[in-house]
Parts: sequence; C-alpha cells; structure tokens
Amino acid sequence: MTSLKQDEYYDLIRGVNWTPKYVPEEEIFPEEMSGSRGIPMAQWEAFDEPYKVTYGDYVQTQREKDAGVYSVKAGLERANYVKTADPGWVSTLQAHYGALAVAEYAAATAEARMARFSKAPGNRVVATFGMLDEMRHGQLQLFFSHEHTRLSRQWDWAHKALYTNEWAAIAARHMFDDMMFTRDAISTAIMLTFAFETGFTNMQFLGLSADAAEAGDHTFSNLISSIQTDESRHAQQGGAILKVMVDNGKIDDAQHMIDVIFWRTWKLFSVLTGPIMDYYTPLEHRKQSFKEFMEEWIIGQFVRQLDDLGLKKPWYWDTFVADLDQAHHAIHVGVWFYRPTVWWNPAAGASPEERAWLEQKYPGWNTTFGRTWDVITDNIVRGRLNMTLPETLPLLCNMSNVPIVGTPGDKWNTKDYPLVYEGRLYHFGSPIDRWCFEQEPERYKGHMNFIDRVLAGLVQPPDMAGALAYMGLAPGEMGEDAHDYAWAAAYQRKAAE
Amino acid sequence: MATETLRNNRVGPILRAGDVAKAAVQAIERDNPGKAIHIDDRTAYIRVECDDECLLTRASMELALGRPFEMREIEISLGSFSGNIDTSPECIRFYFNKHV
Repeated sequence: MTSLKQDEYYDLIRGVNWTPKYVPEEEIFPEEMSGSRGIPMAQWEAFDEPYKVTYGDYVQTQREKDAGVYSVKAGLERANYVKTADPGWVSTLQAHYGALAVAEYAAATAEARMARFSKAPGNRVVATFGMLDEMRHGQLQLFFSHEHTRLSRQWDWAHKALYTNEWAAIAARHMFDDMMFTRDAISTAIMLTFAFETGFTNMQFLGLSADAAEAGDHTFSNLISSIQTDESRHAQQGGAILKVMVDNGKIDDAQHMIDVIFWRTWKLFSVLTGPIMDYYTPLEHRKQSFKEFMEEWIIGQFVRQLDDLGLKKPWYWDTFVADLDQAHHAIHVGVWFYRPTVWWNPAAGASPEERAWLEQKYPGWNTTFGRTWDVITDNIVRGRLNMTLPETLPLLCNMSNVPIVGTPGDKWNTKDYPLVYEGRLYHFGSPIDRWCFEQEPERYKGHMNFIDRVLAGLVQPPDMAGALAYMGLAPGEMGEDAHDYAWAAAYQRKAAE
Repeated sequence: MATETLRNNRVGPILRAGDVAKAAVQAIERDNPGKAIHIDDRTAYIRVECDDECLLTRASMELALGRPFEMREIEISLGSFSGNIDTSPECIRFYFNKHV
C-alpha cells in the first residue's frame, strides 16, 4: 500500500509527460491523429480532468460494478422476464442491442486513439480507462442479449446488425463512423465524450432505465444504468479538453464540432430512442414521454452545461426544439410501415388509449400524425393489410441516412433540401443536414445511402424482395407488427357496431 | 418549458436506486445546511440537486450508511450528474461556474 494519500500523488503520476529527444514531436503525435490545432504541448499539460480515479480504484470499482450487474442477471434469470414481457418491450430491447452493443465495443478504438495520440497526458490516462469501459459495455450487452437467441432469430441481430447493410444499421454506422472512427483525438474528445456522452447517452442509458424499471425489467434497467456510470466518468474528458481549447482561443472550433455532432446525434436518437419511448414501451410503464426525457436530459441538463462552459446552444436551436414534437413521430410511422426492413417488430402504439396519451403529451398529434394512423387503422379494420405494407422505397437523407419526413395534416410539409456537389445530386431532410454536409463535403461525398445503392444497381432485383435480401433480412428476422394488430381490435369492434 | 428549464441552477448527483442513493440523500442534506434540496425520484434513478453548489462528503456517507465508505464507491451508483464535478477522497463537489 502506498504511504501517500491519493490527492498527494494523483496529479503527479497522471500528468507524467516527457520531452522526446530522438523523434520529433510531430512524428509521435501526427496532427491528423492528435488534432492539437497548433496548441503547444505545455498547454495540453494543463488538462485537468475533474473526475479523478487511480488505476487501483478503477479496477476495484469496475469489479464491484460487474458483480452487481451479473448478480442481478443471475438472480432474475429464472423469472424468464423476456419470455413473458410485452412484445413492444422485447422490440425495445432488440432495437437497443442491435444499434448499440457492437458500436460500444468499437468505441474502445476511439478511446484508444485519445489514449495514444492526445497531447494531454491526463487525457491519455483517462482514455485508457474509457477504452476498458467500452470493452465492458460491448461484452456485457452482447452477453446479456445472447441468451435470448433461442427465442427468435431477431435476437441474433444484437451482434449482427451493424455488420449488415440494413438501412438503420447503415444510418447508425455512418453517424458512429463520423463521430468516433474518423476524427483526431481532440475532435473525438469533443464530439464523442462531450457532446454525445455528457448529453445524449443519458437518454438511452438512464432515461430508458427508468422505463425498464417500470416495466419490471430489472436486469436491463440495472445493466444500462451501470453502463452510464462509466460513461459519466469518462465523458469528463470532453469538458477538460474544451477548457484547454477555450483557454487557447479555439472556442469557435469547439462550438462548430458540437453543432455538427449534436444534430447528427439528435437525428439518430429520433429513430432509435423516440419510437421506443413513445410507442413500443407499454403505456402503463412509460415514466415520461420522449420529449420530457429530452427536456430533462438535453435541454435542462446538457445545454445548461454548455452555457456554464462558455459555449452557446447550436445555431439551429429553434428548429431542434420544434423537431422534438415531430421527427420521431414521423420516423415511427415510417419504421412501422416499412417494418419488414428492420430487425425488430415495431409496436404501432396506436390503440385508443395510447393515442389519448400521445395527444396529451403532444397536443395536436391527433390532427397530424393521428390522421396517418387513421388511414392505417382503417386498412387493418377492412382487412387490407397489403395496403399497410411497403412496395416502394422512401427517399433517404444523405446525411442522416433516414427517410426524409415531415408532419402530415391538412398540408404535407415534407421537403427535400437538395445540393449538387461535384456533379452529384444529394438529398437532405433538413437545411441542417445539408449544412453538416457543406462543412466537410470531402468527408461525406463518397457515401451511398440505401437508395443510392439501389440506383447504382447494387441491390438486385431493385424491388422490396431484393432490398430485403441486400439488407440480410430473412423471414423470422424481418419485422412484423409487434402485437399482431391486437391494438386495432377496439377499432374493429367499433366498426362492427 | 425549454427556456424555463434552461435557466435553472440545479446541480447534484443522479444516482441509481439503492441503499447508496438513499444514504446520499441524507448525506447531502447534512452537507448542505440551509439549502433547499430538490429530490426527483424516477424509480431507476433519483436526482438530488440544490442550487449552484452541492457537496457530498465521505464522512456524511459513513454516518448515513453506518459503515465505512470510500468516496470512490459512489461511482457504482453515480449514473450521471448535473453541473460540473470535482472529486477528492473526502468530498465530491457539484457546481456551476455561473449563476443564471
């Protein structure tokens, strides 16, 4: 045991750096990997992470976290929760695991980039812990989901999804690749650890844990909230890097990175988190609406944090706030309608009781999105299921890779925001998506979304059957209505009367 | 709603439900005398916040738990927090630099 107290030696050992003699600094820390932006080494040495952990403490604490998570799983295994859970909740789990488990494992390489290439010695230490954290998250979530593969092939997508060309997987991969795998160490610290982990992961790992606890899924609730304890620690790298940037006149650079990745993250969460919180989670277990969770975690907490660090709300703030009432409702209609193209069974969430809840949480829902569901419901009631299934493909955004949507109602306000760059025509779902592209066209120009691939002849035959084959979705994997249309029964009774 | 919540000064831990969370509520009341403590229980997690600055000491955690407690153990329960954080072996401090 050490005879020094932690606070007496911590800063010294964590701040260990050296002056290279045999190799130039720029060879050890190439700019494209380090991203030091001309800020000298001595300034990076001022990096001071506020959430301090020694390696000894780290190992002990992580062991205790795992002991807790695994013992809850073991204790509840015989209860067979997933087997008896509401199908909407099962879909929530499948969507979550498929979109995130492998991405978290991969995030270890983003942490490793900071651990190796950041010029801030403290950043390198904390990122090493972050790297181990992300391996833990990948392993836990692949392991916890794996036991259910005997129940259906859709569970296999926890591991498989991000290796396929399924459209939502392409969207998730494009966003994660942009944020985590193609950025220098400093950009990664700002975009991944600050914007994404201080902000949005709270939605999926604490917000959703509240719904999970309400739904009685204590294994999952306990798992994801434990993951977020790691995130909360290693996310603090971002704030410390921000401080160095602000102190060295690079605040505009930091603000710009936040503006880009905040929007990109929002679009991804409007697909992943919005529908599961407001439509898939059984009504009686919804702790808050998606919008209320966004207000709690993003507007109340994260943006207040931005303000405290001297940063501004993203320039498109008003559009973002308005989008909280729209984007995920529109995307949900699309995901449900295109249900064979996802690896989970979307829950419509459109029974009379659920619609009343939506109207209460989102005043005006019935006269906008509700009218789309009126048509779908009517088709189901009349036995015209074929009219509730897709035959053609939607227009996808070249930034978010998700369908270009709008709000239905008296008028249809869906709009394409096109851009021609080097002779190629790109389509965007909003001026902000297009703005993101324009910031770095070289970065984004080569990518083909699902529709681009169809038009390029990569999807054969170029119809729904060919699309499903290209996405790797076989019968038993492609989504169906989670409740086999039981939610429409009340409307059927009413029609019969 | 958006503007109103933006203008709050609340800081503090957001703890996973359990014994440590319950103890932390008691400890924070003891460590921040005279301050209004806002508690928001969301089943899986609980927000414990006060305005501008919120302290949580190891000594108060030991009193509340009735057992030895190392400050690092709080991480097992610390799902998130509002404001900035400062950690040391005896105390954790949550704070804002600016009052709005």
